[in-house]
Amino acid sequence: MAWTRICRADEVPENSVRKFNVSGIQILVVNYGQGFRAVPPVCPHMEEPLEESGIVARCVLTCSKHLWSWNLETLELQGETERPLKTYQLKQEAGVLLANIEQELVYEFETEIGDQSDDDFFK
Amino acid sequence: MKITIQSKAGETAFDCGENEIILHSGLGSGLTLPYECASGTCGTCRARVKLGTVEVQWREAPGYLHLKPDKGDILMCQSRPRSDCFLQVLSQVKIFEKFRPQVRHGTIENLRRLTKDLAHFMVRLSSPMSFEAGQFVLVETDGLSGGRAYSMVNFASETDRIDLLLKRKPNGGFSEWLFAQERVGANLRIFGPLGRAAFRPEEDRDIVCIGGGSGIAGMMSILERAAQVDYFLRHRGEMFFGFRTLDDCVYLSQLARYSALAHGNLDITIVLSDEPAKTRVHVQYPMLKLASGLVHDVAVRCSGLVQDSCLTFVAGPPIMVDCAIRALIVAGVNAGSIRYDKFS
Repeated sequence: MAWTRICRADEVPENSVRKFNVSGIQILVVNYGQGFRAVPPVCPHMEEPLEESGIVARCVLTCSKHLWSWNLETLELQGETERPLKTYQLKQEAGVLLANIEQELVYEFETEIGDQSDDDFFK
Repeated sequence: MKITIQSKAGETAFDCGENEIILHSGLGSGLTLPYECASGTCGTCRARVKLGTVEVQWREAPGYLHLKPDKGDILMCQSRPRSDCFLQVLSQVKIFEKFRPQVRHGTIENLRRLTKDLAHFMVRLSSPMSFEAGQFVLVETDGLSGGRAYSMVNFASETDRIDLLLKRKPNGGFSEWLFAQERVGANLRIFGPLGRAAFRPEEDRDIVCIGGGSGIAGMMSILERAAQVDYFLRHRGEMFFGFRTLDDCVYLSQLARYSALAHGNLDITIVLSDEPAKTRVHVQYPMLKLASGLVHDVAVRCSGLVQDSCLTFVAGPPIMVDCAIRALIVAGVNAGSIRYDKFS
């Protein structure tokens, strides 16, 4: 699909998240003030819908369900968080956010835990 | 039966009897298996069965909503082994030494109804137990399967007595059973201690507690622990306890006592959700402040401590806990400084 329009940047207020359907793929846009991130719409922990459970404050996205959190600038895992956030490459042109969508990003318990030979989970 | 756990930290194994719950047996063996409620609601203790079979005790447990049973996902808190098992768990599973949970028998003593839907009861244990302030136990009785989680209200080391606070729930099996008739002398099965929302004085931080309804239970234990070590000589504390009306409040005299012992460093506010606070302080216990509104709103608005350096405890119904967590994070508290317990 390559670079695809998600939304206008001003459709997602600062320190908030909003979910968009981009050609059948659900993408959550996160505005953390200093920039934007485009991520899958669920928490990688228990697949909680981040549209409801995601809180953005001070450059950190936190899922309120079990307090997993990530620095949105560096994507560094905070505190007890055990899995990284997957992100779509994102750019802004003329007030429009575009994501580079090769394929839908998903968190797969099965592939991550099932096949250790090809597994970043156990590393 | 041999249960092997494969986690991010490698493989580890423990023995589990066929009548034992896998989660309980693993925690009792000292493994840091993931869990929160330990009673089927939250889904945190999910694992994937790669080899072996398990028997599921409560198939309708709300925690199953998060799982993919067709891929072999189970809740360890609801499963007993039917063979040796090889399980995968998505977290770091290590060994811990302190206060491993175990099964004890208990006898109900001193059941007191405090309000129309809260009762305080004391359980005499078959052998002494140590626990951290803020922890809970699972309570089971014959004929009612599945444990209900209750936080300890008291605090003591190596104690054979625990005090628990029970909220009466319509159709809540155990609470209906306990409220139904005179239960002093009845036998219980107690598994614990459990829970990571614990207060440890050595962490040396100012604390804020936000409790809704029976969520006050574990916070009473925190206050007792703090009083025993004179914690508020050098730290500040703020407690916000939410109740519907003044008639629904519990433990007011104890709260007043803790406040009096705290060198002026402990503020306790009772927040009423269903009636206005007619005075700024409680008429009978003037050291307790009164406010009206939602407990987490009042806490975040009135607290002088809610900030990054304080340690915050939240306990109560899930929706109240979620709202409180959201308000705290927006107010600048870091997720790592929040400890919570959801009572459902």
